Amino acid sequence: MFTKEFDTRVKTTVKVIVPVVGVIVLLVFFGFRNTVTDVGYRPQQPVPFSHKLHAGQLGVKCVYCHTSVETSAHSPVPSTSTCMNCHSLVKSESPKLKLVRESAEKGTPIEWVRIHKLPDYAHFNHSRHIRAQIDCASCHGKIEEMGVVAQNKPLSMGWCIDCHRNPSEFIIPARPISGIFTGVKAGKYDSTAKAVLSPVKALTEPQFGMWESEVPKSEVPGIPVPKHPGIGPENCSSCHH
Amino acid sequence: MEQEKSKKSIPFIKIIIGVALLGFAVVVVSGNKMWYSEDRPIEILSDMDNQFKAKPQVGSTFFADRAASRPVIEITVPRDGISYPLEKPDFERADSVIGQNPLQASDFVLARGQNRFEALCAPCHNADGKGNGKVVEKGFQNPPSLLDEHAVGLSDAHIFHIISAGQNIMPGYADKLNMNDRWTVVHYIRSMQAKR
Ligand code: HEC
Ligand code: HEC
Ligand code: HEC
Ligand code: HEC
Ligand code: HEC
Ligand code: HEC
Repeated sequence: MFTKEFDTRVKTTVKVIVPVVGVIVLLVFFGFRNTVTDVGYRPQQPVPFSHKLHAGQLGVKCVYCHTSVETSAHSPVPSTSTCMNCHSLVKSESPKLKLVRESAEKGTPIEWVRIHKLPDYAHFNHSRHIRAQIDCASCHGKIEEMGVVAQNKPLSMGWCIDCHRNPSEFIIPARPISGIFTGVKAGKYDSTAKAVLSPVKALTEPQFGMWESEVPKSEVPGIPVPKHPGIGPENCSSCHH
Repeated sequence: MEQEKSKKSIPFIKIIIGVALLGFAVVVVSGNKMWYSEDRPIEILSDMDNQFKAKPQVGSTFFADRAASRPVIEITVPRDGISYPLEKPDFERADSVIGQNPLQASDFVLARGQNRFEALCAPCHNADGKGNGKVVEKGFQNPPSLLDEHAVGLSDAHIFHIISAGQNIMPGYADKLNMNDRWTVVHYIRSMQAKR
C-alpha cells in the first residue's frame, strides 16, 4: 500500500514520537505535583524581614505577630503598627525599614508577597488546628530557621487527608516558640480548673470568644479531641463548601 | 539511504530519552526541596483557584484604594469588639471607668495569662517581668521591673489601662489582646508579684 520510503518514515516518526510523548506525559504527571511545583516557593519580599532574626534569635513568638491565628480562619501577616511597636526605637534609622516607616506614616499597606495559598475552592481554618494545639511547624516547617519564608509542605489535598487520617504521625505538638495556648500545664496548675466569671459592668463584659470552654486537651499526646464535633475531617464538605 | 537515516536518529532518541529521564528522576525524587524558586508556582489548569471575591489580606481591584478589607465606618462599632474608651494619658480615669478585674484568679486564668504574657510582653519585660528582654538588649528602652514597688502599687485597672493603651514609649496591645486576655495578664502579673 505504502511506498517503502513512506513506510520507514512512518516507523521512524513513531519511534521518536512515542517515547517523547511518553516522557512528557510522565513528566507532567509526576513532575507537576504540588510537591514539585509549590514546595520551595520563596519570593523576594518588599522588606527584607527575617523570621530567623525575629523568631529564632529574639525569641518573639509567632502569635506576637500572627495574633489572630487562634481565633480566625486566616493567620494575617501583621500590620505595620506591629512592626512599629519595636521599630519605633530599634533600628529606627535603618534603610532596610524605610518602607515600614513610610507605611506607618501614610497608612499605606506593605504589599507582602503571599506564599502559602490554597485554591479558593478549598477552605482551610487555622483556629481549628491551633486550638487543637498543632504546631505551626507541622504545616509550615521550621519558620524560625528561615531567613526568607519558603513553602515547606505541598498543601495538596492528599497532604491534608494524610494527616486527618493519621494525625499522630504528622502532628508536631505545640512548641514554646509558637506561643500556642496549651491550657493548664500538667503539674503546674490544677487541670480541672476553669475560668470563673463574676458579674461585671457592661464595659468589661467578658469577651471570652474562642476559649470560653477549656482548650481541648490531648488525651493521647498529639491527638487532639475535636472541640465541636464537626462534620468530619474526611468529609468533602469540611473543606469544599 | 533509508537505513542510514534511521541509524542516525537512534542516538538522537536515546539522548532525548536519557536527558528527559534524568531530569524526570531529579525532579520527582527530590521534590522542590532541593532548590528554591522565586517564580510563582506553575499552574497547568487554573481551575477555580483564583476566584473574583474579596479575601482577607488580598488587594482588590474593586475599591479605589485597592484594599479588600474595609475600614470601620464612622459611628459604628464592630460586632466583636468594644473599643477601648481611654487614651494613653488618661490613666487617672482608669479606676473609675474600668473598675475591678471581673475574672477570678484560677489555674486556667493564670495559665492563659502566662501564655499571653510570654508571647506579647516577654520580648521587652522578659518572662520573669524584671525587664531586660531580648529586644531591650538590641536597643529598646528598658522597662521598669514589674515586680518592684511602683508596679505593685498600680491598681488592676491602671495595669489594664497600660496594656490597652500603652504608656509613654510602650505600645498598647488592645488590638492583640481581647478584654479577658488583658485581665488574665493582670492576674498573672499579680501572681508574679506575690511570688517575688
Ligand atoms: C516580628 C513579627 C513576626 C513573627 C514573630 C513571626 N512572623 Fe511570620 N511573618 C511576619 C511577616 C511580616 C510576614 C510576611 C513577610 C514574609 O513572608 O517574610 C510573615 C510571613 C509568614 C508566613 C508566610 C505567609 C504567606 O504569605 O504564606 C508564615 C507561614 C509565617 N510567617 C509563620 C510564622 C511562624 C510559624 C512564626 C513563629 C516561629 C512566625 N511566623 C513569627 C511576621 C512575623
Ligand atoms: C518584638 C520587637 C520587634 C518587632 C515586633 C519587629 N522587629 Fe524587626 N527587629 C527587632 C530587633 C531588636 C532588630 C535588630 C536586631 C539587631 O540589632 O541585630 C530588628 C531588625 C529588623 C530588620 C533588620 C534591620 C537592619 O537594619 O538590619 C528588619 C528589616 C526588620 N527588623 C523588619 C521588621 C518588620 C517588617 C517587622 C513587622 C512585621 C518587625 N521587624 C517587627 C525587633 C522587632
Ligand atoms: C494544619 C496545618 C497548619 C498549621 C498547624 C498552621 N498553618 Fe498556617 N497555613 C496553612 C495553610 C494550608 C495555609 C494557606 C491558607 C489559604 O491559602 O487559605 C496557611 C497560611 C498561613 C499564613 C498566610 C496567610 C493566610 O492565612 O493565608 C500565615 C501567616 C500562617 N499560615 C501562619 C501560621 C502560624 C503562625 C501558625 C502557628 C501558630 C500556623 N500558620 C499553623 C496551614 C497551617
Ligand atoms: C498536621 C496535621 C493536619 C494537617 C496537615 C491538616 N489538618 Fe485539618 N485537622 C487536623 C486535626 C487534628 C483536626 C481535628 C481538630 C480538632 O480536634 O478540633 C483537623 C480538623 C480540620 C477541619 C474540621 C473538620 C470537621 O470535622 O469539621 C477542617 C475543615 C480541616 N481540618 C481542614 C484542613 C485542610 C483544608 C488541610 C490542608 C490544607 C488540613 N486540614 C491539614 C490535622 C491536620
Ligand atoms: C481536608 C480537607 C479536604 C477534604 C476533606 C477534601 N478535600 Fe478536595 N481538596 C482539598 C485541597 C486543599 C485541595 C487543593 C489541592 C491543590 O492545591 O492542588 C483540594 C482539591 C480538590 C479537587 C481539585 C483537584 C484539582 O487538582 O483540580 C477536587 C476535584 C476535590 N478536591 C474533590 C474532593 C472530594 C470529592 C472530596 C471528598 C471525598 C474532597 N475533595 C475532600 C482539601 C480537601
Ligand atoms: C515593645 C516593648 C514592650 C512590650 C512588648 C511591652 N512593654 Fe510594658 N513597658 C515597656 C516600656 C518601655 C515601659 C516603660 C514606659 C515608660 O517609660 O513609662 C513599659 C511599662 C509597663 C508598665 C508600667 C510599669 C511601671 O512600673 O510603670 C506595665 C504595667 C507594663 N509595661 C505592662 C506590660 C504588659 C502587661 C505587656 C504585655 C501585654 C507589656 N507591658 C508589653 C515596653 C514594653
